[in-house]
Amino acid sequence: MTDAIEKNHNTAKAENLEKPTIILGVIGADCHSVGNKILELFFTSEGFKVVNLGVMVSQQEFINAAIETNARAILVSSLYGHGEIDCQGFRDLCLEKGLDRIILYAGGNLVVGKTPFEVVEKKFKQMGFDRVFPPDVDLKKVAELLRQDIRERFSQEAGDSGAADSTVRTRN
Amino acid sequence: MIQVLLTPRSGPEIEMKKIVSIDIGSTWTKGGLFCLTDSGLKLEKRVSVPTTQNNLVNGFREALTRLLDKDLNTSLKELKDQAEIYFSSSAKGGLRIAAIGLVPDLTLQLARLAAMSAGGKVIASFAFSLTGNDLRKLEQLQPDILLFSGGTDGGNSSYILENARKLAASSIACPVIYAGNIAVADEVAEIMSSKEVVVTENLMPEIGQVNIEPAREKIREISLQRIVSGRGLSEIVEIFGCQPKPTPLAVFELIAAIPTCQPEWSDLAAIDIGGATTDFYSNTESYLETDTVVLKGIKEPKVKRTVEGDLGMRVSAESLLDTAWPYLEERLKELKLDPDSLRNYVANISRELDYLPRTEIEILCDRLLAESCVYYAGLRHIGGWKETYTPQGRVYIQTGKDLRRVRAIIGSGGFLSAATSAEVMRIPLEKLRHYGQERKLLPEKPAFFADRQYLFSLLGNLVGKYPREATSLAVKSVEIL
Repeated sequence: MTDAIEKNHNTAKAENLEKPTIILGVIGADCHSVGNKILELFFTSEGFKVVNLGVMVSQQEFINAAIETNARAILVSSLYGHGEIDCQGFRDLCLEKGLDRIILYAGGNLVVGKTPFEVVEKKFKQMGFDRVFPPDVDLKKVAELLRQDIRERFSQEAGDSGAADSTVRTRN
Repeated sequence: MIQVLLTPRSGPEIEMKKIVSIDIGSTWTKGGLFCLTDSGLKLEKRVSVPTTQNNLVNGFREALTRLLDKDLNTSLKELKDQAEIYFSSSAKGGLRIAAIGLVPDLTLQLARLAAMSAGGKVIASFAFSLTGNDLRKLEQLQPDILLFSGGTDGGNSSYILENARKLAASSIACPVIYAGNIAVADEVAEIMSSKEVVVTENLMPEIGQVNIEPAREKIREISLQRIVSGRGLSEIVEIFGCQPKPTPLAVFELIAAIPTCQPEWSDLAAIDIGGATTDFYSNTESYLETDTVVLKGIKEPKVKRTVEGDLGMRVSAESLLDTAWPYLEERLKELKLDPDSLRNYVANISRELDYLPRTEIEILCDRLLAESCVYYAGLRHIGGWKETYTPQGRVYIQTGKDLRRVRAIIGSGGFLSAATSAEVMRIPLEKLRHYGQERKLLPEKPAFFADRQYLFSLLGNLVGKYPREATSLAVKSVEIL
């Protein structure tokens, strides 16, 4: 009986080790936590291993967590309108810290006011984010794109991170 | 063993036991004779004899024979049946541990905490890839233990394997405790098969999840072997059948047990200033989650020890002067004292380590040194809040451990045990309250105590077997300042 439980536990653990790890958090001085919790539940149910850093997360914290966990992607949320300032230089810092291939997504109310989404998207892509999402995006679609991006970027390797890899990815 | 039957009829036998606890320090071997009855533990006798460096057994035997009123030449075998015996050894201020982690704020920070909580001294720490310089430094330092961590379970492995290969090729001879990403543990052990590698659970299995107990336990095991080997201690182990504890670990276990057994003493801290190091212990919840306080970095353990190798009253007085100059300068001005008199005093005591102050100025100098030990040990042990304004209002960002709920601070070690006023602890802690832009999370209204009979390390030896009795005597023996 206990053996069976132990075995189940171990299988669960082993499966968990194989799931792609993603880092989640709300950047800057933003304390909006409800959406963040929803994203955690959603991506977990989609089969990702989610490391949720919660609210008020700095760029350095996202990157530290990504290094320790060998994460495939960082998903940055921002709701309070200062996302553009908070996200500046994020990709550069990733490269500085050796996260050469990490996938960067941003989503939420990324800028103040009624800027057309295409403008916002362009801005964030210029900053080095791979994909940018408006507040009303269908999460199922995001999960699908994320799986696809992870497959494409990490398919050839046997299991290690972008951290040690020296091929520098060209920006969009 | 003397036994007096108090309940002759039913029930378990209550006996009166003689218990001896001895702490072999770097300068003094201290011993206490305790009497255990149904009403608790009582101190009967307390002795201190100089530590015999070449063969620790001689000092041990002297302390033991004096406690038991026996002739100095009585053999250890004969003394064996006179009392239950426990002992600890400071092993030159604790084992020298080098810590390796991945990210400085995460696994490296935990590796340092684990080392210190196990009674060790962190002599060097390294993050990310080990450089050629790092390796040379390690080889030159030759630590007693290398604590090797990094990566969450299933997380980063490239840095870990790279470091493992570099360590395997180095001339490091000490045991290596691997407490990193469990997914590559076997591989690490294989790469480093030329070294003595002990694999244990990851210090940080998930981001923010603190799991330092297994690594602490391994450090403790290795410490035991190290303390015992050489200088005669194995003879004591063989005859008395008891293992020594590293002294700081004994105190750590006492501080850990006090709130459990003496609930009115929940939330406490202790500061132990020695000649070479200053130890800071705390036992309190490190973070209370609220809407307005956000914790950054790891949630530190409830029972925490930090040890500062550059802060001490004698051996480390010179380095203390360097570290603590900003604090000392301010205090010297307040007290209208000539900085040169303090500098000269430090130069004197560094030459003559067992010097005791004679003049009024020398006494004041000693007190300033103790104050600055408290200040800088507190600065490094205690966390802080930084105020930030967000669109949702004012929020505090907390890093490190919150000690605001600590109600009792106990001073131990030669100087603080003898303190006659709380000022030596109160003044530096008050000055620490605002450090730069940070609000330090100091105990709000603590009561100050002195470990007057210097019993904490002795009682720490007994706390494993007699938790209730040892903690009860510990809190009874301290004196309020």
